[in-house]
Amino acid sequence: FADLADVSIAEDIPVEGEITVPVGSRSPDDDYSTLDEPVRDTIMRDLKAVGKKFVHVMYPKKSSALLRDWDLWGPLVLCVSLALMLQGGSADSKDDGGPQFAEVFVIIWFGAVVITLNSKLLGGTISFFQSLCVLGYCVLPLTVAMLVCRLVLLAGSGTVSFIIRLIVVVAMFGWSTLASTAFLADSQPPNRKALVVYPIFLFYFVISWMILTFTPQ
Amino acid sequence: PSPLTGSPPQALVDDTEDVSLDFGSEEELALRKAKIRHPLATFFHLFFRVSAIITYLFCDWFSNSFVACFVTILLLLSFDFWSVKNVTGRLLVGLRWWNQIDEDGKSHWVFEAKRVPTIAASTEAEARIFWLGLIICPVIWTVFFFSTLFSLKLKWLALVIAGISLQTANLYGYIHCKLGGQKSISRLMSRFFVTADVPKRQTRRISEDRTEEHGKMGTR
Repeated sequence: FADLADVSIAEDIPVEGEITVPVGSRSPDDDYSTLDEPVRDTIMRDLKAVGKKFVHVMYPKKSSALLRDWDLWGPLVLCVSLALMLQGGSADSKDDGGPQFAEVFVIIWFGAVVITLNSKLLGGTISFFQSLCVLGYCVLPLTVAMLVCRLVLLAGSGTVSFIIRLIVVVAMFGWSTLASTAFLADSQPPNRKALVVYPIFLFYFVISWMILTFTPQ
Repeated sequence: PSPLTGSPPQALVDDTEDVSLDFGSEEELALRKAKIRHPLATFFHLFFRVSAIITYLFCDWFSNSFVACFVTILLLLSFDFWSVKNVTGRLLVGLRWWNQIDEDGKSHWVFEAKRVPTIAASTEAEARIFWLGLIICPVIWTVFFFSTLFSLKLKWLALVIAGISLQTANLYGYIHCKLGGQKSISRLMSRFFVTADVPKRQTRRISEDRTEEHGKMGTR
């Protein structure tokens, strides 16, 4: 990102905007606020926002739409599906997988909170929930990797399957890390970027490790 | 006195004559009289919260699997959070709150309150149900928190903490809306919000520091 450090706007490019302050009173009947929209509109609007973010994660280009309207539905769904798919591993043979399920939850949410705090302490400009949103949505490639791993393990669990799983998990890990740093690194001062990227790397590494070492009974 | 024009004298309307007032159609009349005008919203406001609590208390009866109970309660809590925040709040008490990130990346918490009551506005019974439901449930989840902690059933702790955070967030948001609304009653109508373009929500809003902004500010 070194090339972007000395971008400046030439002085003859017009910069314009529009700021108006309303004068006078308005009749209440003219106002349409989100207080009155039908429920179906609310649901559809939120669902579309979630869908758009999923698409953004899969094709991470530098856009601020993910950051602008954050929501935590996507991370919740991803967290639950990842935790469900990590069930039935050989670690919890005798009980019903309780602790491990809650473990995945705690790792993901607590890890995301710690990364967010870290980036805020380093002077980042992103808000708390935006950062949680981005980190949560970027778990999507790893969830896909988990799905693929489970399917591969259905076929067999020899060396070949391990190599396939390794490749898939490493690729998805790289994708997750790149996607989240594409969104998050911009909000940091330039000399702190590595300090911010490192915990994100670690976070997705831990999740990838859980995925790769998963062996069904 | 006879009129000065040539037309025949007309009967004057006096105080004893019946004047029929038009309140609107029958439906509107029934709506005005009803104690609960949004039965579906009231039902759902309480349904998700109470189901979450009941499922948590009686999860052993429903299923042996911790995972199923955990996921069910979590989903109920999430649906409750969404429906109270987005639907029942505005239908039952005319309040709404959300978070908005403006173009500088600063986050604003926005609190919206309905000033003008319409025919379908909420009744006192609905408002009472709303606030009772909003206040009692986080208290119950806090009790669960301590009971989980002291009985050392720590695998439920994550869920209880999630429940407390979600419900307290709604409680806090609505109390803020309510208090903000009462302060603004003494001010002028210029404090009233409008958001015409729903996905962007940029046209007119009042952020938490009580400044008013309008329109888009394009700088790129």
